[in-house]
Amino acid sequence: MADSSRIERARRRARTAKTAVGALTVVVFGVAFAGAKIHAPGHAKGKAKPLGAPASFERTVRHSALQSGEIAPAVQPPAVASSTS
Amino acid sequence: MSVQAVERFRAMGCDVAVAGGDPVSVAAVLEPWEETFSLFRPESELSRVNRSQARVLRVSPRFARALRVALEVAGSTEGLVDPTLCGRWPELVLSGRMLARTPGLTLDLNGVVKALAVDEAVRTLEGPGFVSVGGDLAVQGPVDVALPANGAIRVVAGGLATSGTASRGEHLVDPTNGRPSGSCWEQVTASGATCIDADIAAKAGFLLGERGPEWLDERGIPGRFVGVDGEIVENDAWAGAARAVQACT
Repeated sequence: MADSSRIERARRRARTAKTAVGALTVVVFGVAFAGAKIHAPGHAKGKAKPLGAPASFERTVRHSALQSGEIAPAVQPPAVASSTS
Repeated sequence: MSVQAVERFRAMGCDVAVAGGDPVSVAAVLEPWEETFSLFRPESELSRVNRSQARVLRVSPRFARALRVALEVAGSTEGLVDPTLCGRWPELVLSGRMLARTPGLTLDLNGVVKALAVDEAVRTLEGPGFVSVGGDLAVQGPVDVALPANGAIRVVAGGLATSGTASRGEHLVDPTNGRPSGSCWEQVTASGATCIDADIAAKAGFLLGERGPEWLDERGIPGRFVGVDGEIVENDAWAGAARAVQACT
């Protein structure tokens, strides 16, 4: 009877240990999975978007594409004329 | 810049004036542009491209460069200066030297070619001077320039260009309807960091009609507008620069 009780207690300890190891494995896997999902650069975190400049940036570039020259009042007789051709 | 230092000859169908450099060198720069883009030469690359019914073409580096500028200009002017002259410039796709376009869609790159040639030619100058082709000019050092309908301005740096109907009639096409522009201006002169910038600004200012002065002011570009009735309008940027010295004294 005493031997049977010792075996039974040993089995309970073994079951408890297996359960604890299993739970720990699930927790470690879950933490590692979540960490990889969040931090690993190879994992997409959201829906893919096409590469491209925002429309506001394109408008700004277009707006400033033409650049002014430098002019001042004439001080000599003109050497050349600007006209349509 | 003294008047006697100016050399004159014909090229690209226009009067050319050069000061501060070798006119032979300038002519050598202009000739390949005319050879490539003249619509009056059946064997020019532009004429051959326009005749071709191919959907995809391989063009020369010079052609690709000019078309790239023309497409950038079409974008920056929201289609006002358009290499197809009919609002269909978004149908052109240029990748490197490969041009894809709808078969039959013809190009006219004269809106940018002359100014690009001037900007290249001015780099051949050995010292202070200018290159003017048909009245569109780029300078190296300050140059005093006569303006349409009297007046003069000193171009300190960059280029100056005039667009309008005074010389060749209504040759500027409104891309929104494909017809000759009915602008309220006869001639528009604009200043730019380069001749191409000045030329595009002048064309856009002309085609925009009454909105032209404000459009150039929004971009800080000096513009001078001669109306069909002879009235001269200077936008704020032009007026400010042209009177800068007087205001300080």
